[in-house]
Formats: sequence, C-alpha cells, structure tokens
Amino acid sequence: MPNSVGKRFKPTKYIPVSTAATLLVGSTTLFFVFTCPWLTKAISPGVPLYNGVVFLFVLANFSMATFMDPGVFPRAEEDEDKDDDFRAPLYKNVEIKGIQVRMKWCATCHFYRPPRCSHCSVCDNCVEDFDHHCPWVNNCIGRRNYRYFFLFLLSLSIHMVGVFSFGLLFVLHHMERLGTLHTTITLVVMCIAGLFFIPVMGLTGFHMVLVARGRTTNEQVTGKFRGGVNPFTQGCCGNIKYVLCAPLVPRYTGVDPRKKPPVSIQPPFIRPDISDRQISIKVSDNGIHTSILRSKSKISLDGLALDDKGLDTQPPLPPKADRYNQLKSQLTSSKDSSLTGKTHPSTPAMYKYRPSFGTIPKVHYNAAGEKIVMPDDHRKASAILEEGRCHVDYRSEPNLDLPDYHNAPLHRTFQSSPLQLDSYLINSRSLSLKQAHQRRDKGQLPTLQPETATSTPYKSVFSPNTLSNRNGSLSYDSLLNPSISPATEAECMAHPGMPSMGFHTPYLPTKMCHVRGPELQSQRQQVPPSFSPMLGSRGIGMSMSRQSPLDRDPSPVRYDNLSKTIMASIQERKEMEEKEKLLLHHAGHSQAQAYNQAQDSGMFDSPTPPAYGGSRDNLMGVVSYGPRTPVLRSSGGSSLVRAPRTSSSSLHTDSSMQGGRASEPSYRSPAHQPHHSPAMPQSPSYTHQKLSFIHALERTDSPRLGGPREAMMQSKVNGQTDCHLGPNSSSAQGNPLSPSRHSNVKKVTGVGGTTYEISV
Amino acid sequence: MERAGTHGEMTLTGEKRDWTHSLQDMRQQAAIAAKVFIQRDYTNGTVCQFQTKFPSELETRIDKQQFEETVRTLNNLYAEAEKLGGSSYLEGCLACLTAYTIFLCMETHYEKVLKKIAKFIQEQNDKIYAPRGLLLTDPIERGLRVVEVTIFEDRSLGR
Repeated sequence: MPNSVGKRFKPTKYIPVSTAATLLVGSTTLFFVFTCPWLTKAISPGVPLYNGVVFLFVLANFSMATFMDPGVFPRAEEDEDKDDDFRAPLYKNVEIKGIQVRMKWCATCHFYRPPRCSHCSVCDNCVEDFDHHCPWVNNCIGRRNYRYFFLFLLSLSIHMVGVFSFGLLFVLHHMERLGTLHTTITLVVMCIAGLFFIPVMGLTGFHMVLVARGRTTNEQVTGKFRGGVNPFTQGCCGNIKYVLCAPLVPRYTGVDPRKKPPVSIQPPFIRPDISDRQISIKVSDNGIHTSILRSKSKISLDGLALDDKGLDTQPPLPPKADRYNQLKSQLTSSKDSSLTGKTHPSTPAMYKYRPSFGTIPKVHYNAAGEKIVMPDDHRKASAILEEGRCHVDYRSEPNLDLPDYHNAPLHRTFQSSPLQLDSYLINSRSLSLKQAHQRRDKGQLPTLQPETATSTPYKSVFSPNTLSNRNGSLSYDSLLNPSISPATEAECMAHPGMPSMGFHTPYLPTKMCHVRGPELQSQRQQVPPSFSPMLGSRGIGMSMSRQSPLDRDPSPVRYDNLSKTIMASIQERKEMEEKEKLLLHHAGHSQAQAYNQAQDSGMFDSPTPPAYGGSRDNLMGVVSYGPRTPVLRSSGGSSLVRAPRTSSSSLHTDSSMQGGRASEPSYRSPAHQPHHSPAMPQSPSYTHQKLSFIHALERTDSPRLGGPREAMMQSKVNGQTDCHLGPNSSSAQGNPLSPSRHSNVKKVTGVGGTTYEISV
Repeated sequence: MERAGTHGEMTLTGEKRDWTHSLQDMRQQAAIAAKVFIQRDYTNGTVCQFQTKFPSELETRIDKQQFEETVRTLNNLYAEAEKLGGSSYLEGCLACLTAYTIFLCMETHYEKVLKKIAKFIQEQNDKIYAPRGLLLTDPIERGLRVVEVTIFEDRSLGR
C-alpha cells in the first residue's frame, strides 16, 4: 500500500462506495440477465429498454457525483491571509438580503468561509455550498455536484421501483417454479431492492424537501434557519430551477496559472489626475510619525454593508516598518482602522491590531503630489486653512520624529466638505498618507489653489467612506453627540488647536478615537485650542465630531474575540480601578481616580448597555467614566451617576446622548468589552470627557467643571469605573463641558497599556 | 595555482557579468509593494459579485471611477455566466441526454464566460493597470473569493 507523505491510502474509506457500486451494478446486471428476457417476451421489449435507460442514467449520475469536484476552494495563499491569521476574529458577519450571516475563519484553508461553505473533515477541504459528505459516493456533495447527486437519488429510486415491480411480476408468473435459478435470482434482486428501498426513498424525499426549500443538508441538520428566514432561498420554483438548470461552475482547484503573456510593470507609473475643482490640501508631517501600517486591506465584508460600516480601509496606512518601529502603537491604531475596514464592521478594530509591520510591504505613495484634494468649498476652506496654520505646532509629542520627518512640520489643512465628516476623514487620511511618505518639507501654509493632488480619490473615497465610516466607527456615531451642530463643528474646525491628527492611537480602535472626537471638539470649543494632539485620538475625535451631526447607524461591531491579552489587561485595569476607588474614597482624591479611570477608559471597560444601537455604546460608558469625573458639572449629574452599570440607557437624560449608558452592570465577559471601546461618547460632553480623560491627571480644570467634587464623590459612590458619570452628568447639565486647559504634558494610557505623553 | 587563479578570475568576471546583468533585469521589473484584496459582495446571496468599494490603498494610484468601472464590468460578466437562462437549461438537458459525455467535448457556458473574463482582465491590466503600477489577478485563481490587486513599488519617485 503506497504511503505518500501527505495522504495515505485508506482502504476503509472505499468500502461504502465499493459496496454501493457493486450492489447497483451487480443487481441490475442480474436483473437484465435473468429477468428481462422473460419480460421482453411476456410484456414488451420496451421493458429492458426502459430499464436500460434508467440504469444508464443512474450510472451517469452516480459517476458524476463520485468523481466530480464538488466546488473545492483552493487554499488561500500566504499573502492573502496575512492580515487575517494573526489575531483575526473567528467570525465575520455579512449581511445577505437583510439577514446577518456569519462567516467563520477556516484555519486550514486560511480564509473566511464564504456563506454556505463548510470545511469537510474527510476531504480536508472547504467546499462551496457544502451539502454533506456522502460515503456511498466517497465524495463531498457541494455546489458543483449537488445536482448530479440529487438526480442520482431520483433515478435510483425510480430504478429500484422499476426493478422491484418487474421482478415481482416475474415472480408472480413463476410462482410454481420458485426454485429455479431465474426465479431465485429475481427474488434475490427483489430483496436487495426492497431492502434499500426505504433508506433510498427516505433520502430522496428528504432532498426533495431540501431542494424545494433551498437549503443544504448541512444547514438543515445544524438548524441554521430553524424558525428563521433563509436568505438563500429563491422561492420553491426558483430553487428547483437553480438546482436543475444552473450552469455548471468550473472547478477552482487545478486551475492552470493562465499562461498569459507576462505584463511588464515598470515605473514610472501614471498617477490619477486631480480635477481642478478640487482644492488640494497639503498635509505635511505632523511630527508624530507613526508608521502607518498598511494593512492589506481586504475591502472586506465591511463593504458588504457599505453604508453601515464604514471604516473599511480608511486611512491608508502604508507601513514603514523600518522607520517606525517605535511607533508600533500608533501604527496599530491606524492599522486597526484599516483593518477594521478589512474585517467586518462587527469586528472591533481593536483586535485587529497586529504590529507586524515588518512583514508588510511599504506602500509608496506618490510623494510628489501628495495632496488631499477636498471638494472645494472655499469659504470653509479658508477657515480651515487658518486653522491648519494655527495648529501646526501641536505636534510635539511623542517625539518619535525620525530624521526624515522632522524637517517637515505637518500641516494639515482642513476643508469642510459638503459632508463635514469628510474633512475629518480626509484629514486623517491625509495625515496618514503624509506620514507614509517622505514628507516633503512643506511647512508652508496650505494652499487653496487647486492643485493636482490625490483629491479625486479622496473625494470619492470619502463620500462613501464617510458614510461607512460613520457607521462603522461609529456606532459611535450614535454615541456621538448628535447635538453637535454643524456650526459647532465649523467652530471646532476653526479652532487653532484642533488636532488634525489623522491617526489613531494604536491601541484604540479607530472608532474609539472617533468617539473621542466629539468630546474633544466640544471641549475645544470652550477652551482655547492649543492642545497638543493626542496621538491620533483627537484627530479622530475631530472626525467624529464632524460625523456626529450626521446620521448614524449603529454599527454592529462586535468585539467578541478581543484578544486574551487585551481582555486580561482590561481586567487588570478594572481591578486597579476598584482599588483606586477605594483609595480615593478614603483619600478623597478625585484626581487619582480620574487618572485611573482615564487609564481605564483606554481599555475597554465593562460594557454599558448601548443606548444607541451599538454595542459600542457600552464602551462609551466605560470609557467615559474616566473623563467623566472631571467633567461632572452639576449635581444633577450625580443622580445620573448613580446609575451604575445596572441601569443602562436610563441614565441618559438628555438628548445629547451620552452614552450614558453608564450602566452596564457588571463587567461583561471579555468578549463584550471591546464593544465598548468604540462606544465613545456621542455627545459633546463625551468628547469633552474624553479629552478630560486625557487630561485625567491634571484635574486642573475643576472649576470649570463645576463640580469635580461631585463627580468625585459620585464616582466614589459608584465605585464602578465604568460609566459613572461622564456623559450622564454632562448631559444632566446640558451644557458642554469645557475642556480643561492643560498646558502640561499629560500621560494618557491607551489601550494595551501604551502610555502617551501629550502636551497640551 | 596561477592558472587556477587566472581561471578563477576569468570565471569570476564572467559570473559577475552575468550577475550584474541579472541584477539589472531585476531592477527593471518593479517590486511588489503591497496587495489589496477586493472581497466578494454577498448582499445578494451567493452570486458572484465583488465589492465595488474603492480601496484606500489605491487612492493614489488609480481613479476611483476607473476602478469601479472595472469591478462593475467584472460583476456583470459573472452575472452573465451564472444566469439561469435558456442556454444553461438546454445545456443541462443535452448533458443529461448524453449521459454527461458531452462535457468531454463541449465547453460549458460558464467556461466560455470565464474565458471572456480572463481576456477582459488581461486587457485591463495591459491598458490601465500596468501603466499605473497595478496588477489584477483573475479571481478564478483564488476560487472566486477575492480579486487580488498587486501594487508595485513606484521607484521612479525614489520611494
């Protein structure tokens, strides 16, 4: 018995198919030899002819079912699965005709199994439209050969009925000579047919029902659509037509690598033109050189629900591993954002974090014309310009400057696009883009002239992206303060201190950063800008705040599979918090608490039930608890604060939603935690709080908070780090919290334990 | 030894020349910078459709309209391949009648369209994508799961 390295010759797996083949061919042959001659004479020659045709049909279908490739997917190549393998969530959600379908990651084949695909353990392959593995034909039944299998069953049933009835006819006519050879053999054949009649007919009937319902055996047996709607059905007639008349799909495996003439690709390459109408935005390096990790963004399933989830392939982040190794964390966030795009929206960007930039090739953008062209809106553009000018300097830290970049202060010009969100997104994008390149030393002010730049892609990208971004990152959107008016935003824009950071803290999901945006913005409004940009988060906050007025759909981001380490760290933090709280309670130190909370907010904290449609909201509650304390303004908030995790949405009292969900009762399972992180505050107060979270250490702004004491007390009372006050309190107050002005360096702990120093 | 040395030198030079020459060849062809994967769009079920969303990595390389046009055409071609029309029905009947032996000689409708798609992709690569430093890979090579877009390094700009 040959024993190859991979596959061993297993005779046992051929037993059922051999038995089936033997029985089928043997019995029918016997029937033809012994029974048919008499039948031909007694009834008509049409009998053997009919039986012959049926038998031929049975054989043909049997052979096709046995030997035809059922629709095996070839293994994914290495470069395709690089993003997905490490730390990839196990499931991706996809919406098919309005119904959420889960796609599972196949560890053997290295891709997310398409809907209806399943991995056959016997064949060790993923099979498209997997029905079942049939031992009688020793083959999987899948998309390509289901029809033949079904026809085999049908024809076999008919054949068995025919053989049995004609045999019975023969026997009945030869009752007196039952002992003769012919009769005996006919009886034997009849017995075989009768014996297998029930199972075969049963199976045939079962598959007839399946075909009519448009289900596979796998789906039926696992009860996938039990009581639910089958998104794959096309109606009874449609299903039957599909099974019987659909064109035969060619096989995927063994496809010869198309002997096509090699395409020679040599630089220089053509670059897309930017239309004149668009104003280019120059983005120069902001000094925070995060290696923008460019994920091989699979424009993933997120794209399936394009409008909802956005965040796919958001800021393109070409990795510069060689340079930015130290900026891993930052990179992660950008990677997260891009990865988020890549994964289904339900996957939190958070745990797509993979600082494996060494392996990711760099994407080189055309540095020459690297400008982001925004849809022109001169009026706003000028505002943005000014703003851009002003806040050039806030990039101070962390000082990760690399030699290439320090010479090019990054200027970001924002232009409000028709979708206000766009500008933020563009900013972040431009930033990320810029960072990716050798920044030209364009320390100058951004220009408004329409220059050729990569505006077109941006523009077009942004529109859908913003939407998607909005949705995706934003289930935060719902969290974001809807009350942020465009005017406010514009204001924010004009703020010199507005962080134009496009990148996200590595450890915070993009969404999180986005969530922060509104907070920051609101804070900013009140406090003179000159924030040093919080790494990424503010910028993102910016975009978030922009987005907030826009409609938001809760994005079904799920953080089911937050990595264990993150979960562990979250748990640690929680414990820390609790301890801190106790300490605070004694010491009466709000600051420490705030600090802890702030730290904690960096982590995905216990989820709070989302008030707005998104699991992210939970995170909001969680995150906000940190910043909340400092921002507690009114005593009214305290009552809200009281609502500890237990009460969810009841907390938010005011329209600006705060994510008040402060409530999430107990620490949910880690799987849920990541949900919360993105649930950043929606209301300006949240934004505000986020900011304060950043400044948590500072607490210098208590006066403006109008009651940090209260916050403190409340936080003490709550004893729960998540959602204590924060949005609740702020919402109670109804006025946006003014961000404290911090001139000193703040340490902010991001998710994953990274500490950032932000100078405000 | 001298001979060997001389010989070695000569050989070395020869090898060096070859090596240099091949190096030059290598330099001629651009290096792969990254790959983008266009995933399937399952919103309409399991029909073969690809997402038309423009990936951000390609923003600086190609026009969005162009790219979307390519993907839309691909989608239309696949829809045509999978259409449950008269031709596919006839094909099925004919195959049944001939006990599927017809598959040995005739090309199915889907295969014909796949050839058309391969030609289309080749043409798109030659005309549009290669000059921009991109390369589309026929999704059939990946089991119709993804369209792989390879982005090549743009060395001319020193990046």
